[in-house]
Amino acid sequence: MSSAVRPKTFASGAGLVWRWQRILWWVFIVNLVLAHFAIRGLVDRVSPTLVHSSASQRLVNGFDLTAVMELAVQPDAPLETPGPVVFHYSVIFAIFMIFSTGGILATYVFDAKPTTTAFFEACGHHFWRFVRLLVYMALAFIPIGILIAICSAIHNSIDDKSNSSYPAAYFAGASSFLILLLLMVLRLWFDMAQVIAVAEDETRMHRALRGAASLLNHNFGSLFWLYLRISLLAWIFCGLGLYLWMYQLSPLSITTAFLLTQLMLIFWIATRLWQRAGEALWYRQYQAAIVTEPTYSPSPAPVPVPYSTAMN
Amino acid sequence: MLRSLTTVLFAATLLLFARGTAKFSTPQSGVPNARAPEASSSTPGSPLSTRVVAYTIDAKLNTTSHSIDATETLVYKNLTGQPQQSFPFHLYMNAFQPQSTLMTEVRMSGARGVGSDSGWNEKNRGSISVTKLEVEGSGDLTDRMQFIQPDDHNTNDRTVFQVTLPKPVAPGASVEFHMTFHDQLPEVLYRTGYKRDFYMIGQWFPKVGVWWKNAWNCHQFHADSEFFADFGTFDVDVTVPQNEILGAGGDLVSSVNNPDGTKSAKFHSEDVHDFSWTASPDYTVVEDSWTGSAGPVKLHVLMSPGHMASAPRYVQALKGTLAWYDKNIGPYPYDRITVVDPAHGAFNAGGMEYPTLITAGTTWYLPKGVLAPEDVVNHEFGHQYWYGMVATNEFEDAWLDEGINSYVEAKSMAALYGENTSIVNLPFATASNAQLLRIEYISLADTDPITRFSWKFISDNAYGGVTYGKTATVLLTLEKVVGEQTMLAALHEYFLRYRFKHPTGEDFLKTIEDVSHQDLKWYFDQAVYGTNILDYDIWDAHSDRLNWWEKQIPRKKSADEIYRTYVTVHRKGDFIFPVDLLVKFEDGSTTTEHWDGRDRWVRYTYDRKSKVASAQIDPGNKIMLDRNFFNNSYVVDGDKRAVRKLENIWVFASEWISQFLAWVS
Repeated sequence: MSSAVRPKTFASGAGLVWRWQRILWWVFIVNLVLAHFAIRGLVDRVSPTLVHSSASQRLVNGFDLTAVMELAVQPDAPLETPGPVVFHYSVIFAIFMIFSTGGILATYVFDAKPTTTAFFEACGHHFWRFVRLLVYMALAFIPIGILIAICSAIHNSIDDKSNSSYPAAYFAGASSFLILLLLMVLRLWFDMAQVIAVAEDETRMHRALRGAASLLNHNFGSLFWLYLRISLLAWIFCGLGLYLWMYQLSPLSITTAFLLTQLMLIFWIATRLWQRAGEALWYRQYQAAIVTEPTYSPSPAPVPVPYSTAMN
Repeated sequence: MLRSLTTVLFAATLLLFARGTAKFSTPQSGVPNARAPEASSSTPGSPLSTRVVAYTIDAKLNTTSHSIDATETLVYKNLTGQPQQSFPFHLYMNAFQPQSTLMTEVRMSGARGVGSDSGWNEKNRGSISVTKLEVEGSGDLTDRMQFIQPDDHNTNDRTVFQVTLPKPVAPGASVEFHMTFHDQLPEVLYRTGYKRDFYMIGQWFPKVGVWWKNAWNCHQFHADSEFFADFGTFDVDVTVPQNEILGAGGDLVSSVNNPDGTKSAKFHSEDVHDFSWTASPDYTVVEDSWTGSAGPVKLHVLMSPGHMASAPRYVQALKGTLAWYDKNIGPYPYDRITVVDPAHGAFNAGGMEYPTLITAGTTWYLPKGVLAPEDVVNHEFGHQYWYGMVATNEFEDAWLDEGINSYVEAKSMAALYGENTSIVNLPFATASNAQLLRIEYISLADTDPITRFSWKFISDNAYGGVTYGKTATVLLTLEKVVGEQTMLAALHEYFLRYRFKHPTGEDFLKTIEDVSHQDLKWYFDQAVYGTNILDYDIWDAHSDRLNWWEKQIPRKKSADEIYRTYVTVHRKGDFIFPVDLLVKFEDGSTTTEHWDGRDRWVRYTYDRKSKVASAQIDPGNKIMLDRNFFNNSYVVDGDKRAVRKLENIWVFASEWISQFLAWVS
């Protein structure tokens, strides 16, 4: 991108999320509802034990860890780990997000109020493309997995040879941070590919990925800084929320705790959407700025772009 | 954020505190390290124990091959009352071989943090070989050494050998053994070994068995067993490279630098039944002192790199525990106690007790509210009493040292750190030591009786849950029967009666009966010798209008309504224990019932002008053996707050797992 073109995507991206906040609420509600389904069985099992027992006050007036353990080790196991069920519902949520990403990105790319029909048309239109992208992403995870294995081996070696636990801990911290940044770059790349797929109605995902890589290669600093800033905000907010929840809230403030945790989640989802909106906005402004000198040539669109009416 | 800052300040303060301390206090040659306690029947200056053994060991540590070459002289005094011709010896270090009994048991069910699926690591191989054995007056008997396997006949196990002398040793006479032996140390495993340049040397020399109950008691080394030995004296000369900082379960008598770059340190210890030592060039020595009813005690804490933040926590816990024991159990008669903080990666050397030396354990990231360093020091110091002085047979009666010690740990940690916060004390979560021990028991409540030999439990978890958790819980519950003060008085009496002796389980139980003036057979039969489950529940608690067949009286006259309340208490388990029942009514009135628990259930009926509000068995939750506290009560107006709190946590966790999956897809 020419130095003259520096879209103010950070603030404008937030504006997009705010303008189309219905998306945020829907994502949040689906996440919440699925989480409730995931732990419903556990709540049903534990309720008869706790509701009419005065021993449950050990969990009300504080949080006695041994009370939780006592529930877990009872022969009838009212506190059986809900892990598999939670995972299943999380997979459903992940599929829902892959499905809805087409509609979400179309809304952000074209910045126009979609009808429900148009939104879901966009979702369906892009769903299988994004599934194909997921396969590419799984391949991209392989080198990162290898890197994680190498870092783990180095960590174990340092841990074994060092007289103090600090060198290994420092290495673990540094390598984790590095891997996190790499994952963020990967996410940025695939997010951009999704934006291209929606904006240009690109059908071939390898082309979208190649185009996204090219864009990223030439504009890495601005795009990564956009993502990183938003991520930092998300981490700070959630860290603060966790601190308030664990250290400041009274154990009896159960409703407040619920609201706080959900607020953290809403903010987290909002920042994720902010990244997507910022990237979509960046791409839109970028395309407008370099229309005479394109660095990426999309393939001809085989089907009409959704929201065409709204765009006009 | 604030807590992090506090931790940094805390560590900085600690470094100032630790800086410049001497490596060891000036040795005072000839000063005995055990004093006659005031409450002892011994006269001042006389031995505290009946000294059966006198070991003199000269050992040289090779830090390149991680091995020890040593000579040992053992003078054994025959106080068995009969002639003795065969003598068994422990060779514990031979357990660190794949086909040993210990490793076979580990492979079966795991133990001490080593999983049953763990593969064999050649670094963990350890051995001890006695290359020469002479007996004064009988000559070289090396050829007469014979490995025996009294417990399981595993001929691959070489942790016990026996030697038969040409002629018996007369009662009252002494016999002198001279041995030359070589230890190959394992990388730290089962309390002992090396890790890089850290050495924890325990159970490292040929150690004679104990004549007990009219027979030799010399068990093989098992995965779930500890040790048993006679009291005596130890004079140990240790030669190590000059850069090594030493710690030992004895007083440093002298330390001499040798021309070859090594130094030889001589230690003396008496009225103890074992000797262990440690060496590392990386230790930071923290010294302190504490004065109890038997005089001053020097505290030596040997801290490994990266763990200095835990040093003041160790010291504070040690001082608090010393004071608690001094006040409630009896005087600590030795003039020193050494705490070894195992090196990073040598965690398996931690959490162990030897006479006047204990090993602790910590990590660099432990917040102050997680009281693990304090707890391990408290527990291991407690073993100075229950194992160190009251020297029970840890092979056969593990509950007498680990169980009693766990009970006292629960009491003393509660006294030092709060009843409900004695193991975890964080702003958002708490846990008590006593409840944690109870949880250990609940999970494996009925597999084995407490009195089972340590290596015969169904699993390693059962050994831990029953020996530590159940015994502590049995004694906590016994407070409900005899009273807390009586229990402490009984322990005090047990300590005074049996310190420097080898008591049995019967001795312990009889002491409690003597002090409480109660026949407790009914309790001990179920709790100690049996595997009975104690679980009571409220089967039913509800109220009904007495004249139920009549139409409901209008609200304005409801004050005259009589209700019949039914409360049914059910004994779910086979453990019979008398219980109290507290019934509360809506008008605030209460009534208490006492049920002997003999029948399977009992129903109480009340006719009152008020409906039942709640019914609760054992209102103070004193019957810790009850497997389930949640079914001990029934509150008519339910309270969903606990469920909502758990639900909130689970929903939050579930939402974040979803977010993570969505992010990576």
